Order: sequence, then structure tokens, then C-alpha cells
Amino acid sequence: MSDNRVLVPLSASSTNRQTIEYVVRTALEGGPATLRLVYVHPPEIQADDQTARGQAVDDLLKRASVWAEEDSKQFEATLTVETAQLGMDKYLFSPSDIAETIARDAIETDTDRVVFDPRYDPGIGAPLLRPLEYELTRFDGFTVEEAPSGRQTRRTPFLARTSLPQIGAIFVISFAFYQILAADPTYWFEIVTGVVSAAIVAIGLSQVTFTRNPTWQTPARLVRHTIYIPYLLKEIIKSNILVAAVILHPKLPIEPRMTRVRPAVWGSLPMTALANSITLTPGTLTVRIDGRTLTVHTLVPAAREGLFAGDLERAIRFVFYGRDAAKITSPEDRGEAELIDSTDEPSSWEGDDGGADK
Amino acid sequence: MIETVRTVAIVGFILVGLFFTLVSAAGVIRLPDVYSRAHTASQADTLGAGFALAGVALALGFTTTSFKTVLLLFFIFITNPTAAHAIARAADEEGIKPWTTDDDRTDADLYEEAMTDE
Repeated sequence: MSDNRVLVPLSASSTNRQTIEYVVRTALEGGPATLRLVYVHPPEIQADDQTARGQAVDDLLKRASVWAEEDSKQFEATLTVETAQLGMDKYLFSPSDIAETIARDAIETDTDRVVFDPRYDPGIGAPLLRPLEYELTRFDGFTVEEAPSGRQTRRTPFLARTSLPQIGAIFVISFAFYQILAADPTYWFEIVTGVVSAAIVAIGLSQVTFTRNPTWQTPARLVRHTIYIPYLLKEIIKSNILVAAVILHPKLPIEPRMTRVRPAVWGSLPMTALANSITLTPGTLTVRIDGRTLTVHTLVPAAREGLFAGDLERAIRFVFYGRDAAKITSPEDRGEAELIDSTDEPSSWEGDDGGADK
Repeated sequence: MIETVRTVAIVGFILVGLFFTLVSAAGVIRLPDVYSRAHTASQADTLGAGFALAGVALALGFTTTSFKTVLLLFFIFITNPTAAHAIARAADEEGIKPWTTDDDRTDADLYEEAMTDE
């Protein structure tokens, strides 16, 4: 191909303007170029705010294309601008998922360079530019760089936006924790010092704790958690006895197999809760999470059957989405559970849902 | 009378906790590869620590200190699976293939194999 292609992932950032200018200048110095502007959709898009967000993304990409065309006028070589939106049909969970999506797009469109905005934020909770750049170096075929920003940017890693409800929630939690640790919660001195320390914690840590505001669903989820915890305890004790019997059995009748399931659970917090519960239950151990796919090591057939029957998954759905969501059939019936020999193996429901095959 | 029942319950909890910790230790020695060892190293231990802490809470009675043991249990329940997952994930990234019933490789062989693959 005669012209060089540059891919720029964009997000709502204050340095987009400088980044576009830098990219256009460096790309056109070497002759005609094609600029591909992509927006990678963050996880947890709720159905109701999809149209509003879609509009904002369209505006962002349109604005960036206009800037690029403006900047290209002072060069002789022609610039072609194209835009794309990625990850709408997938659940992108970690920097490696996002890196893979970007890399796949770069390889498909035969791109030579990927340039990041210094404040690029893929919207997965906190700005994760460093890990993202690192993940991208695993792929061949293109170079990765970060655009220098015009003014000295103060790097603010791990700081996300915060809001009053979030600060309030942290305040309540840390105050309650302080009173549990305090010897006598009715003594006025404990109340005053509790308020002061909770305020310091709430203001100081509000930017790293929550990424979303608590909603009216939060109390309901907490109540459902109190049902979930005894259930989980029962499961843990049941499978612990099972595994203990296997370990103490003279013949050691284990049949370890790697398995893969795709639970019908969405969002990073429910997914974390499920993966943690699976690991907490003896006999099953979460090895890897890729998007919605969990790679689980199972020790005995009974534990494997329990995993494929999806009891924990159903319980997690009950906690986070209410009773109706618990009715979805088991992963085995959905065809979203399988035994695998190697974790590199593509899953049978692969489609376009990530994975090592390509 | 009540005191006797309590003492028996405390001793019972501690003994059950000790039993699961012992099983966990036996599992680490007996099981064949890093994945299955990660199972028992952290999980059976969770219940061992859980029962021991329940015994401690009972021995302390209804005081603020026993609330703290419940909190301790809560933190163990969050950190233990995280550690097990980290070990398993690291093993997977090293390319270590899980042991299955039809092979007789030892831990050292599995590691050797992963190293020569690269």
C-alpha cells in the first residue's frame, strides 16, 4: 500500500485537539495518509442511556474528523479520514480486552501506527493508558506511541470522576467501620473522631473507590446479599467436605479438567463476585476471565457438574438483577460450558467474542 | 451447664478448623500439579480459618472484639480466592498444562515442558 495508515483511539479528553494535530502532521510528512479514528465502547452500557451515549460518540468522532481535515489543508499530500466504533457487541473487561480489540482492528485495516492521546481513557473505571500500551506491544504489525501533548499535562493516574452520592456512600461505610472497631460506639468522643476520619477517607479516596453512583437498586442488592452469603457458606461447607473426602481417600480419586463457561452475568462487579464465589467453593478455581468467558479448573466431577448446572451463577443473578433473572437456564443447557484440553483452544461459541484464535 | 456447652462448642469449632487445615496441608502434598494444589492451599484453608475464628468469637462472647473476628473472616473470604486465582493465572501464563488423569508427569516435568516450549 502506498499511503500510510494511522489508527487513533479516541475518548472524551481535553487533549484530543493537540493529538489530532500531531498525528496529521507526522502522518502527512511522509506522503498521503489515511487516518482512522476509532471509539472503543466501554462496558456496562445500560440500555436506557445507549442513545444518549451513541449521540455523544458520533459528535466526538465527527468533531475529530473536522479537525483532521482542517489540519491537513496546510500539507500537499491528501488525507483520508475514516471513523469506526468498536466493541459495541462485546463485553470489554480489562486493558487486555481493549488492547485486543484495537489490535484486531489495526491488523484488519492494515495499519502501521497506533497513536494514543496522552489522556486516553477507555472508560473501564480508571485511566489505564500504561497497561493498555503494554498489552498492545504483544501484537506485531504496527507501532504504538503516545502523542506528545502541547502543554505539560499533569498525569493523574487512577483518578476518576467522583460525585456527592459516592462521597456520601464512602462516608457512611467508613463511619460504620470505625464504629465497629471503636470500643464503645455510644461515647461522644468516638462519634466525633469517627466523623472526622470518615470525612477524610471519603474526600481523599472518593476518586478511587466507586466508578458509578449508588442507585435505588443498591439497598435491594445489599438485602439480597444477606440471603446470598448463608447460601454461599452452605455451598462452601458442602463442597469442602466433598473435596476433603477426596484428598483423604487413599486412592486420591481426582479427575482434574480445565473447563470453560460463559455465564449469563454482565458487568464487572457481578462478574467479580461470581468468579470469586467459584474460586471460594472448593473443587473449582477461576484461572482466567476473558470478556464474559471464564476459564475454570475443576478438581472432581461433582464440582464440575455443579459449575455446569450454574447454581452459583443463578444466585449471583438473583443478587444483582432480582428474582426474575434467576430463571435463565443453566450454562450447560445454553451450550455455554465445555471441557478443554488447553487454555489456548478457541471456545466452541467463539464467534467474535475474543480468544486466542484468529 | 451453659458454660460447659459453650466450652464444648468452642473446642468443637477449633477441632473442625484444625481438621480442615490439616486436610489442606495434606492436599498440598498429595495433589499432582500447581492448579490442583492452588485449590486446596487456599480453599480448604478458608474453612479451617473460618471455624477457628468462629471458635474465637464464641470464646470472646458478645463483645466488640468478636465483631472484629467476623470482619477478619470477611477479609479472608475476599483475599483467599484472589490469591488462588493469582497463582493459577500465573501458572497459565507460564504455559503450564494442567495434569489430567491419563498422564503421569510430575510437577518438575510440567515445568520443564513449559520452559522448553518457548
